[in-house]
Amino acid sequence: MLVLVLGDMHIPHRCSSLPPKFKKLLLPGRIQHILCTGNLCTKESYDYLKTLASDVHVVRGDFDENSTYPEQKVITVGQFRIGLIHGHQVVPWGDEESLALVQRQLDVDILISGHTHRFEAYEHENKFYINPGSATGAYSPLYRNPTPSFVLMDIQSSTVVTYVYKLLGDEVKVERIEYKKA
Amino acid sequence: MTNQASPVEEQEKLLEEALNVVKVQAFQMKRCLDKSKLMDALKHASTMLGELRTSLLSPKSYYELYMAITDELRHLELYLLEEFQKGRKVADLYELVQYAGNIVPRLYLLITVGLVYIKTNSNLRRDLLKDLVEMCRGVQHPLRGLFLRNYLLQCTRNVLPDTIEAQNENEGTVRDAIDFVLMNFAEMNKLWVRMQHQGHSRDKERRERERSELRILVGTNLVRLSQLESVTEDEYRRLVLPGILEQVVSCRDAIAQEYLMECIIQVLYYAVQQLAAGVGHGGRVPPARAARHPRAGRQLSRRDRSGVPHGVHHTVLYNRRVCDVQVFPDEFHLANLQPFLKSCAELQPGVNIKNIIIALIDRLASYSQRNEGNVNLSVVLEDGKEQEVQLFEVFSDQVAAITQSRTDMPPEDMLSLQLALLKLAQRCHPDKLNYVDRVLAHTDKICVDIHQARYCPNIFKKVGKQTLEHNTPVFKELMKILKLPADHYKNILTLIKLQNYAPLIRHLNYPGRIMIAVHLVNDVLESDTMISTPEDVESVLAMLDVLVKDQSDQPTSEPDVEDFTEEQGLLARLIHHLRSESADQQYLILSAARKALQGGGAARIQHTFPPILFHAYRLAFMYKDLKEQDEMWEKKCQKIFQFCHQTISMLVKAELAELPLRLYLQGALAISEIGFANHETIAYEYLSQAFSLYEDEISDSKAQLAAITLIIATFEQINCFGAENAEPMRTQCALAASKLLKKPDQSRAVALCAHLFWKGPKDGQQWPLNEGGRALECLKKAARVAQQCMDGGVQAQLLAELLGRYALLRERGNHHATTNLIDAIIQKIREELANLDQSEEVEQITKHFHNTLQHLKNRMECPDPDGLGYEGLVLS
Amino acid sequence: MSFFGFGQTADIEIVFDDADKRKVAEVKTDDGKKEKLLLYYDGETVSGRVNVTLRKPGSKLEHQGIKVELIGQIELFYDRGNHHEFISLVKELARPGDLLQHTSYPFEFANVEKPYEVYTGANVRLRYFLRATIVRRITDIVKEVDIAVHTLCSYPDVLNSIKMEVGIEDCLHIEFEYNKSKYHLKDVIVGKIYFLLVRIKIKHMEISIIKRETTGSGPNTFTENETVAKYEIMDGAPVRGESIPIRVFLAGYDLTPTMRDINNKFSVRYYLNLVLMDTEDRRYFKQQEVTLWRKSDKSRLPLHNAHIPQTLSHPSNTMLRQPSASSDDNSTRAVSPMNPENAMQRSISPAMPDGDKQNGPSQMEQEKPEEITQKLSNTHIENNQENVRAQEPPQVNEKPPIAEKPVIAEKPQISEKPVLNRPDSETSQSQ
Repeated sequence: MLVLVLGDMHIPHRCSSLPPKFKKLLLPGRIQHILCTGNLCTKESYDYLKTLASDVHVVRGDFDENSTYPEQKVITVGQFRIGLIHGHQVVPWGDEESLALVQRQLDVDILISGHTHRFEAYEHENKFYINPGSATGAYSPLYRNPTPSFVLMDIQSSTVVTYVYKLLGDEVKVERIEYKKA
Repeated sequence: MTNQASPVEEQEKLLEEALNVVKVQAFQMKRCLDKSKLMDALKHASTMLGELRTSLLSPKSYYELYMAITDELRHLELYLLEEFQKGRKVADLYELVQYAGNIVPRLYLLITVGLVYIKTNSNLRRDLLKDLVEMCRGVQHPLRGLFLRNYLLQCTRNVLPDTIEAQNENEGTVRDAIDFVLMNFAEMNKLWVRMQHQGHSRDKERRERERSELRILVGTNLVRLSQLESVTEDEYRRLVLPGILEQVVSCRDAIAQEYLMECIIQVLYYAVQQLAAGVGHGGRVPPARAARHPRAGRQLSRRDRSGVPHGVHHTVLYNRRVCDVQVFPDEFHLANLQPFLKSCAELQPGVNIKNIIIALIDRLASYSQRNEGNVNLSVVLEDGKEQEVQLFEVFSDQVAAITQSRTDMPPEDMLSLQLALLKLAQRCHPDKLNYVDRVLAHTDKICVDIHQARYCPNIFKKVGKQTLEHNTPVFKELMKILKLPADHYKNILTLIKLQNYAPLIRHLNYPGRIMIAVHLVNDVLESDTMISTPEDVESVLAMLDVLVKDQSDQPTSEPDVEDFTEEQGLLARLIHHLRSESADQQYLILSAARKALQGGGAARIQHTFPPILFHAYRLAFMYKDLKEQDEMWEKKCQKIFQFCHQTISMLVKAELAELPLRLYLQGALAISEIGFANHETIAYEYLSQAFSLYEDEISDSKAQLAAITLIIATFEQINCFGAENAEPMRTQCALAASKLLKKPDQSRAVALCAHLFWKGPKDGQQWPLNEGGRALECLKKAARVAQQCMDGGVQAQLLAELLGRYALLRERGNHHATTNLIDAIIQKIREELANLDQSEEVEQITKHFHNTLQHLKNRMECPDPDGLGYEGLVLS
Repeated sequence: MSFFGFGQTADIEIVFDDADKRKVAEVKTDDGKKEKLLLYYDGETVSGRVNVTLRKPGSKLEHQGIKVELIGQIELFYDRGNHHEFISLVKELARPGDLLQHTSYPFEFANVEKPYEVYTGANVRLRYFLRATIVRRITDIVKEVDIAVHTLCSYPDVLNSIKMEVGIEDCLHIEFEYNKSKYHLKDVIVGKIYFLLVRIKIKHMEISIIKRETTGSGPNTFTENETVAKYEIMDGAPVRGESIPIRVFLAGYDLTPTMRDINNKFSVRYYLNLVLMDTEDRRYFKQQEVTLWRKSDKSRLPLHNAHIPQTLSHPSNTMLRQPSASSDDNSTRAVSPMNPENAMQRSISPAMPDGDKQNGPSQMEQEKPEEITQKLSNTHIENNQENVRAQEPPQVNEKPPIAEKPVIAEKPQISEKPVLNRPDSETSQSQ
């Protein structure tokens, strides 16, 4: 089961488009679910995601016009409960313990958040945390020159293999991180 | 004599009957040939050929019959050829076959025998060719005549003299071949044209369709001419082209003229492939000459000289999608442009002359492209001098002449011609942008004329609306003209160099202008064009005027929100392409962009200003990076944030609130991070502006919560404030949080404020502004508010959240969050949970609670050596 | 045959000198069969021997004299008993006496004038024969042998052509040209038709060769027309400015030299009949007499070489008229053929004005070319294949075989007088 995790595109506020190299990778029909951490900003970006997979989950980012997106959301894929939140509401931003509060509240195995434009994936108290970064590498005042990145999760029952796609210079690098449910 | 086409079944029946006769007679003929009974064979051949005298078949059926018969005639030809080659000549055979009483069979036999004579004795070639083409005049029936002459043409295709000088004058030279084909061509064309005038006017449509089916027969003559390898350019100019053109012009038939002119100039690309494959003729073969029919082409040409039945050659007639013929080599055209174009001006009014010119231009343009622009445009003139042919100049003049002489030409056709010229200019003269501009200027004039023609007749009519209506032919052509350079150059910077481009857009109506603007922006985005000077920014945005501001002719009704948002989104994306490597230049670019865009009104600037602002913030960071090189960097940063402040104010003035609030917060963060002189004050200003917006403009409770949360979270990140500025701000935040309308919102927001008073150590250093007590007060207040909630579930939920935050503060070293307090919360939660009925929600809260307890348990079991720990806390 | 049945009798045989070397010619006999006869020309000596063979050798034959005659005579079929001898030469071979054995008598008619050619026509026959007679008291023993005679002519090669503009006013104007007015029998007629005005819907055009045999004189004149050849020279409808070539080889047809006033008994003349047929099977025709003559075989070097075909020069070169493909400007020409000579005839009935005996070159001389002519001629004009197959009258061909809706429009309106001032015949029809 392939789950695409991405967010913080900030099109057209901070970027003109998704990197073409990413677009080439993201082909319709292969991805089952899309989890978006928000800040799509416009409907077109949402429509674009819809072309990739029919099951698209979006939570509201601080620059999302669309107020119908929920603040947070729990999605179950395989044996995993996955929490999704943009992260601008989590004070302090990107703080491990503060995110852990959300994790406990939502009672999820994996917590996905964004906002910092910095890719992260780690285990904390047996739970898995993912921040896919910004898919466009959008400007952030707190993190200079973000690297465009997104995450693809391959979920097989109790195992999730996470692939991180980063656009470094002109090249897409992929890293692999595995997480097993305790 | 019209051929009276009967219904389909009738046709099939008639054809079948005829084919049966052919079968029987052909069988008899072959049997007689086997027995060397030539005379009997000829008699059967003649009877078989008699079938071709029919008037009952439609062209399509007649064609099938013709195919069957000519295939059979091939046997006779081969037999005779063999006999002749063995030396067994039949005396006066050429005379013998002429005793056939009916002309159609007679002439088919005559051609067949004539061919055999020519093949076995080239001495007879010249005279026989002349005789055959002359004798065929006897068939004046269009359909029968066309096919007869086609047979002549097919039979003679490999025996036409093709040498400049003959060793023996009786063999003839290429001149004789030209005469032969030109005459046959003229006669066939006349027959073909005559079809138009036969029968009833109500059958016109059917007739034209049938004519169109047969046109390849006429066109084949031109193929033959082009296959003559010895035709020199001189002969082409003096004999071939004038011969063709004279016939084309004098036939005064629009269908013929259009088709034939296109025939002459048609480009078939596979011609090039053929040449590359080395198929067909030896020696120098100009690309177009090797061309045959699109699909069967290659195969046919390979077999062409190896004696495949003639029939194979024209199976194409009814099996082809587009029937068109190959044509003359491009070099010929360059030398003959002017006479050709002159003839164009003399064609019938009904002729779609534009298609002809366009086809010619296309051909020349792609010729030029095939040669990668290295077109040798020098042409030797009659006086022997070489002259550079300026393709564009020639066409430009002729097109102008044609447009002038053809007053009836619809304006869209005039525009189509301009489009073709434009293509030519772009492809053949890539270095001459002024040619393109000239076409555009001319197009502009045509458009002006169109408006005048439309509005002048009625002077009382309002003259205000000077744009072309949507989806009219003229509109479509103009759209093409506008798109062509855009797609060709894929660079808006080139377009802005064309003085007449932007003005031309204004001839379109509002939706049209939107379409082209969207097209242009998409081109920029796709091609990743960077617009890197303020002047270019101005020009580009001026060109996209329709997106940038309200238009006088835009519809008065509300525009479709989705469309409008999409258009503005595109424009916003474009701003990311206004970029310079130089920071100073970038500033000027952003100023120019804002200046251009600020007139767009609230609806537009909410889309277009955010990108400008983020670029400005980014630019400030750029200056920070440049601080070693640029001692003015701090001043420049101040200026940038002044610029940003103004920009956001404009959004505020446009009665927007949430967006400017967020942009202020983003600005404050950037300012704090960059840390230039006086940054604290400016950051405070930004933050306070955000706060004012919060207080004055945001009234929706949900929006209020979101905004205050964002303010708190942002403020938490800003590290530049000293106590003087931080104190009022965090107090204000806490106050604002406590003033939220809904209790749960109050509780949550107040709890978040705890983070404004207590932060964990950073790099081993305690935060100087830490005030543990006030942090705890926030939590206590949050707990109090929580307990005021009437809904027990909500209460439990809020307390469970608070428990986490208490623990967090304690773990972050705030000793005010005592284990007693934590324990009290735990007990309170338990109490509440115990009072609650089971529900999904309660279960959720219970899970949350247990997760938190589990966390505490973990911490108690493995205490953080630097933290306070949970000594004394008992978790049952 | 002996009167008494037992008398001596004899057989006569006439043997010609150089019979093995002399050419033969096929001549029609009066019963329509063909016979190969030794060929003589005017002024040639006819010589040979008369051999008398006795039936009963040893017994004598008494006779009143033996003679041989050379006779040229004209037989009119309606006057069988009355032969007109225009030549009658006699040679005495033996004085009266007895013949005791086979005897051979040489004879010679030196440089005999043979003014006419042998001819077998519909109503008349002209023949030459030798008659050997053993004169006896009761019954002569007679033997007749026909010979063929050809009259040779020579005309200068350059002869006047026939050129004429004819027509029907405001309907059809053509100009036709035959390259000569006199053709030898193996000649080829070369010509062209130039269309000056076409307001009728022409279906096709043919040339026929008509032989007109006239016998008798005064009130007892009989004329027989025979179409010797029919030759289609154009298919379809031309428009103004078209020029159609004519080329007819004569060798393949059963022709004789033109004979004018043979001994005041008969004449044979030939006419070229140019016939245009319109879509309603009306015929427009113009007859033009041509003189046919026999050319000496010895000088029969090919005047035309089949391999170097002859056509009259193209109209565009000589007549300087602009051929035009568009049919919409058949402007009426001022020249109207007022001269009766220039008037074309029009027959409403599809039949030929004459007996229209469909002949074709079915009776040929024994030369190879004719063989094929005979065979090819089976596909001649009248044998319309479609009609035969469809077993329908010929007109059906031009009508829609199935009555489609637009019947009325398809049926050409019969307009006796071609409509004036119509740009072309098509539009006039669609009225």
